[in-house]
Amino acid sequence: MINLQGYGPRLLEGAWVTFELAVLSLIVAVILGLLTASAKLSRNRLVHGIGTLYTTLIRGVPDLVLMMLLFYGGQIGINMLTDQLYEAFDIDIFINVNAFIAGVVTIGLIFGAYMGETFRGAFQSVEEGQMEAARAYGMSDWLAFRRIRFPLMMRHALPGIGNNWMVLLKTTALVSIIGLTDMVRVAAEATKATHEPFLFMVPVAMTYLLIATLSEWIFSRLAKRYNAGFGETH
Amino acid sequence: MATTATPLQARNIKKRFGTHEVLKGLSLEAHQGDVITLIGASGSGKSTFLRCMNLLEQPDEGELIVHDEPIHFRDTKHGREPMDWKQVERIRAKLSMVFQNFNLWAHMTLLENVIEAPVHVLGKPKKQAIDEARSLLDRVGLLDRADYYPTQMSGGQQQRGAIARALAMDPEVMLFDEPTSALDPELVGDVLKVMRGLADEGRTMILVTHEIAFARDVSSQVIYLHQGVIEESGAPAQVLDDPRSERLRQFLAPKH
Amino acid sequence: MEALTTWWTELLGGNAIFTANTLEFYWNGLTTTIQLVFLSLLIGILLAVPLAIGRGSKHPWIRMPIYAYTYVFRGTPLLIQLYLVYYGVVFFEGIQESMFWPIFREAFYPALMAFTLNTAAYTTEIFRGAIKNTAKGEIEAARAYGMSKPLMLRRIVLPSAFRRALPAYGNEVIFMLHASAVASVVTIMDLTGAAYYVYARFYAPFQAFIFVALIYLCLTFSVMFVFRRLERRLLAHLRPREG
Repeated sequence: MINLQGYGPRLLEGAWVTFELAVLSLIVAVILGLLTASAKLSRNRLVHGIGTLYTTLIRGVPDLVLMMLLFYGGQIGINMLTDQLYEAFDIDIFINVNAFIAGVVTIGLIFGAYMGETFRGAFQSVEEGQMEAARAYGMSDWLAFRRIRFPLMMRHALPGIGNNWMVLLKTTALVSIIGLTDMVRVAAEATKATHEPFLFMVPVAMTYLLIATLSEWIFSRLAKRYNAGFGETH
Repeated sequence: MATTATPLQARNIKKRFGTHEVLKGLSLEAHQGDVITLIGASGSGKSTFLRCMNLLEQPDEGELIVHDEPIHFRDTKHGREPMDWKQVERIRAKLSMVFQNFNLWAHMTLLENVIEAPVHVLGKPKKQAIDEARSLLDRVGLLDRADYYPTQMSGGQQQRGAIARALAMDPEVMLFDEPTSALDPELVGDVLKVMRGLADEGRTMILVTHEIAFARDVSSQVIYLHQGVIEESGAPAQVLDDPRSERLRQFLAPKH
Repeated sequence: MEALTTWWTELLGGNAIFTANTLEFYWNGLTTTIQLVFLSLLIGILLAVPLAIGRGSKHPWIRMPIYAYTYVFRGTPLLIQLYLVYYGVVFFEGIQESMFWPIFREAFYPALMAFTLNTAAYTTEIFRGAIKNTAKGEIEAARAYGMSKPLMLRRIVLPSAFRRALPAYGNEVIFMLHASAVASVVTIMDLTGAAYYVYARFYAPFQAFIFVALIYLCLTFSVMFVFRRLERRLLAHLRPREG
């Protein structure tokens, strides 16, 4: 690894933080997205309303503001909660909001809303006949979901998931602002110390490009797989 | 451009797509007031031939002469190309084409479609163009649709609108590329009626069509193409009612 | 004016955080955010039109550099682009002696430049996609009626492409509005910067950030409203006729 005035190893660690953060947030976002999609497709008006409120609010407010609200507000919220515990039950604990977890939760929460929209469209595009056929052959609801609806849905959801992932990856850079030591934070600190922005920012930018390019390749491979049986593969 | 009695001549037109030769040296001469109909099975090259006449396809060999003005070509590494695209644009403005799929500009109303090329290609004053467009729309029976967008009209209406758009150029020759093929059968009649009116007033027209009865009715000359070659050509009575070749006989035989 | 201030102060008397003073912070933040976003979008769109046309050029030495530009700017975080311009601008030979230095010394202009380059890249690809999707038949009709390439571009291709690009461009406007929040990290007092200031001063994250979130929400809905109106007017040709 290139030394980069001694910042090389730290940049590498930062890159790993970025990657971990992105992957964990993606997992949270996909789970939240599936839940949101089911909520928005639900016939229960309250559940539907909650789903709609969540996606509307999240998509109307900048990521950075949400992140600051959850990170700075989260600490105070938890402090208030532990104070209550102390007063009521004499339990004295202190929980420090971890910037990494706050990052994963915030980014997961934000992209859960976007994933929700992606999955909703994808679920709706699966023909009911396919599920009917599954039930006619005695599949349970869960089996039919896992074996029939999910793979059929993925074909429609994949391009959207791919897009969301690319945006999510870039959004991880924002955690550097709330104090998490990802590669952008390391590069920003190094820049301020050495006044060499290009030396640090350009490799970081190239790392993002590299991950994006690799992801694009992986998603096109996946698209091919889920497109099997639907004619044209691109 | 001087006006002569022969607005369009095509001589020995050849065209290849890759290694496949679709036009094997075709010639045609349109005199003032001629209605020339190209017939033939699909793949015979009739549409390609028509599209070579206004250079939507570039012929690989042969000459095109509009009135007395030949179009000049030069060879490039991408193939043969017109030497002077300005000349081509000038000539295209004289040869209005009506397409199988109408190709009206979707973001413009019908009236805007009709005045577009007269105003921006010919440089006509807008007010004059609008007046003329209105009378043309009246003629094709679409004056009440002037402010409609293409997607808001039926195929038959779109095609009649497209004919009005072609007429607005006051063309020397009108080229029709299967104008009724994309229409529902019940809408074909209105379009053919408009075309018959144009033939009757002495417009020079070259058309590619599958409507044999219509071709017999209006044509001064019928050309039967087979695999890029003119197999038979002549007056409609001769070509359509007394075909010499077995192939043309089969082509004309009622389909079961 | 004085009467108004007193009125405000009295109205907000029972409130320790949202005083006339902090509200002024938010107000200045709002104007800064709107200026930054509006100017970058405006310059961005002016750059994007020729770039989108060039992006489809048959000459690789025109097409490829534009593609590289959009690929890099769409593939990396805006925050990094902002840092690069903000910290990198002094490296341009002679800029500190030039007449532009008073401009670039302030954080606003480097931020404007970074935002402009970013939105121009996205907008270029949006327009490129819309231009590519122009119906082949409509282009053919334009050629058949003797239109030159520039005329065809001006009258047929661009007007219909802009209309088709409208929904995607509306998303880009909202994206820029939200992305502009990073301006606060290079000392700009935009909306988010104001909210952070209020948070830090009163240690009141909920009030500070929820208030600013509501302002952003209003801005987002306004943009959506405007674009929906525009779409209704300019995409009339894609809808069946009413009545």
